[in-house]
Amino acid sequence: MSKVPQPSELSNWYLPGILKGLGYTFTNMVKNILNPKKMSTLNYPEEKYKYSARFKGNHILTVKKDGSLRCTACMLCATNCPAQCISITASEHEDPTVEKYPINYEIDILRCVFCGFCEEACPVDAIRMGPEWQTPGLAGADFHYDIKKLAYRANLKGGIQSSVDDKERHEAGI
Amino acid sequence: MPKCTINGKEVEVKEGATIIEAFKTMSEDIAHYCWHPGLSIAGVCRLCMVDVEGARGPQIACNTVVKDGMVITNQSEQIKDIVRWGMDFHLINHPLDCPICDQAGECGLQEQYMKFGQYDPEMNQQKVKKRKVVDLGERVVLDSERCILCSRCVRFTDEVSKTNELGIFNRGDRSEVGTFKDKPLNNKYSINTVDICPVGALTSKDFRFRQRVWYLKNDDTVCNGCSTGCNVKAYFNEEGLFRVKPVYNEEVNGHWMCDDGRDIYKYVNKEHRLLKAKNNSGSQWSELTAGKAMQELHNSLFAEIKAAPEKTGVVLTGQYTNEEYQAVFATLKELGVTQAFHWNDTDSDDFDGLLIRGDKNPNTKGLQNAASAFGALKSVADAEAAIASGSLETVMVLAPENIAVYSNYDKTFAALSKAKNFVWFGANKTECFETTNSSNTWMIPIKSFVEKSGTFTNHAGLDQTFNYVTTVVAGALTMSEAMTLFKGETLEFDLRAKPMTSMKNNHFTLNRGEL
Repeated sequence: MSKVPQPSELSNWYLPGILKGLGYTFTNMVKNILNPKKMSTLNYPEEKYKYSARFKGNHILTVKKDGSLRCTACMLCATNCPAQCISITASEHEDPTVEKYPINYEIDILRCVFCGFCEEACPVDAIRMGPEWQTPGLAGADFHYDIKKLAYRANLKGGIQSSVDDKERHEAGI
Repeated sequence: MPKCTINGKEVEVKEGATIIEAFKTMSEDIAHYCWHPGLSIAGVCRLCMVDVEGARGPQIACNTVVKDGMVITNQSEQIKDIVRWGMDFHLINHPLDCPICDQAGECGLQEQYMKFGQYDPEMNQQKVKKRKVVDLGERVVLDSERCILCSRCVRFTDEVSKTNELGIFNRGDRSEVGTFKDKPLNNKYSINTVDICPVGALTSKDFRFRQRVWYLKNDDTVCNGCSTGCNVKAYFNEEGLFRVKPVYNEEVNGHWMCDDGRDIYKYVNKEHRLLKAKNNSGSQWSELTAGKAMQELHNSLFAEIKAAPEKTGVVLTGQYTNEEYQAVFATLKELGVTQAFHWNDTDSDDFDGLLIRGDKNPNTKGLQNAASAFGALKSVADAEAAIASGSLETVMVLAPENIAVYSNYDKTFAALSKAKNFVWFGANKTECFETTNSSNTWMIPIKSFVEKSGTFTNHAGLDQTFNYVTTVVAGALTMSEAMTLFKGETLEFDLRAKPMTSMKNNHFTLNRGEL
C-alpha cells in the first residue's frame, strides 16, 4: 500500500509554498539551459521523436517489382480486422497468373486500432504497418485511406517493394 | 436388407447400397472427392479406403457393395496412413493458392486436409504448371492447376445434363479437364458443375470474386423461377443476395437446379426494387410509406368499390404464395368483387426432361386452386378489353416479381393503367412506371419470395412451404398485410426479440476463430 505524503504545516502558508514551487522550476530551468540534450520534452512539431523500426503506425500497401499492387484481394486482413475498418473490392485481373486484384482498398483510419492483425493475416506481405504516426486531416474523407494513399503516397517514393513477388514464385515453381 | 458393422456400430442399409452410403447414413466421417450421391461411381480419388474384415486388403468404400455381416472400419492406423498419403498425392500439383481461390471457406480440399492431411509434405519436385483462367463457356471458368481430376464435372455432363461437353485430356500429371474444340460448356445446367467441384477449379463467372463465402449467410427457400419449384439455398449478407444453390430434394429437383434459376436473386436486390409506395392522382408522383398508402387507399377506394363492385377487377399472376391468394380472395368476397383475371405470359407445358418447365410462375397451380373456390379466372386480355370499353374502372394488379420472363410486361402495364383507379402491387420497378395512363395510380411495394414465409404449389400439385430468409426492402408488405390494411384493420407485429436462427452459417463475426 502506498502512502500519500501529507503536506507539511508550512505549506499552509502562502509564501513558503510558492517559494518552494518556484525553486523547483528555477532549478530545472538552469539544468535544462546548461544541458539541453538531457531535456525530457521536445519541441514538437519542429522536433519529432524517433520510434523503433517495429512501431505499428500507418499502413503501407506494398508493390511488386513492376510497381503494381502486391495485394491479391483475398480479404484475410478484412476478415481478421477486429475494428472492421478495411473494405476491399476485388476484380478479375487481365493477367491469368495474377488472377485477382483489388480495384478498391480502403482503410477507415479513425476506426483502426493499430493492432497489426492485418499485417499478420496477410499471406503475401502486401500490407505492412509503417513508422508514420502523424495523420492530420481537414475533413472526414482525409481519414479514408485509398490505394493511392496506402501504396503510392509521396513519402513512400513510388512504393515499398514486397518481399514476395509473383514472378519469382512462379519461376521457383511454388 | 443387409446389416453391417461400421466402426463398431451396427447399421442396416438398403439392398445394393455401397459402404460409403452406409457411412453417410450414419454421419460417420469418411474422406472422399470423386463420389457424389447424384452421379455414377468413378473410384478415382482413392481416398475412401476402408478395412473390411476378411478382405484381401483395403477396399474403396464407394465401389464396394455392403454384404450381410460385413465388419468395416476406417479408424485403423493403416487406413489413416493411406488417406494421409492419398491426400498428399492429390496436393502434389495443387497450387495451394487458397487466399486467391474463390472456393476457400467451402472447399473440400481444405476441409479434408484439416481432417486427414499430412501437414508436412515430402514432395520436393516442381509443380506442373497448367492453364489458369480458362473460359469454358458462358458461365463457368476453369483453373486447371487447382483441379484434382475427380471427374465429377465430366460425369455430370455425361449423365445428368447429357450434353457431353467436358472431358479429361492428356495423360499422367498433364491430365486436364477441358472442352472440345468449338464446343463450349453452354448447357442450361452448367453451374451445377461448379457446385459439385470439390476444389476451386470450376468457378461461376457470376459469383467469382464478388464475395468471400464466409461473409455470406444462407437459408433455405424455394426457387420461384418456374413451376418446378426447386429447393434452394439463398446466400446473402447486408448488401443483398449474392447467389443461389440447390438443396437436395428427391421429390422435386434431386441435387440440381438450372442456370436460369441461379439468376432469381438478381431482381430481389435493392437496385431493382420498388422501395416506397408511390401515388399519382394528377400529374405528379408523390412517395409515401406502404402502410400509409394502404390506409389512404382504404379511405378513398374501399367504400367506392363496395358500392359498385361490378366495376372492379383484380389481375393476378402466379408469383404469390397460397396464403396471399387466400387473403386476396377473402377481401374480394367481402367487397363483393367477382371479376378476377389471370395474367400469365409464359403459359406453356414445355418440359426439358430434367427440371426446366415452360410455365415460369412458381405458383400457377396454387392460384388455380385458390381461385377454384372463387370462380373462373378470365384472361388478362379480357381485362384490357373491359378497361378499354369502360366497364372496368378500378383495377388491382398483383404484378409478377420475376419480370424477365414476362415478355409483354410493358404493354400489359400500359393497357391496364388506362383504368380510372389503378392499384399496382409489385416488388420491382421498371422504366415503364414513369408513364401511367391512369388518373389515380397507386404503386405498393411488395415483398419478394425471400422476404416472406408461405407455400408454393408446384406443377405436380406438391405444396412446398418455405420460410423468411432475409429482409431486402424493409418498407415492403406481403399481399396478406396489404389486404389487412386495405380492409382498414391494423397489423400486429411481434416486437419481442427472436432467437438468431438465420445467423447459423458462416457469419464471420460469430465464427471468426473457427475459420
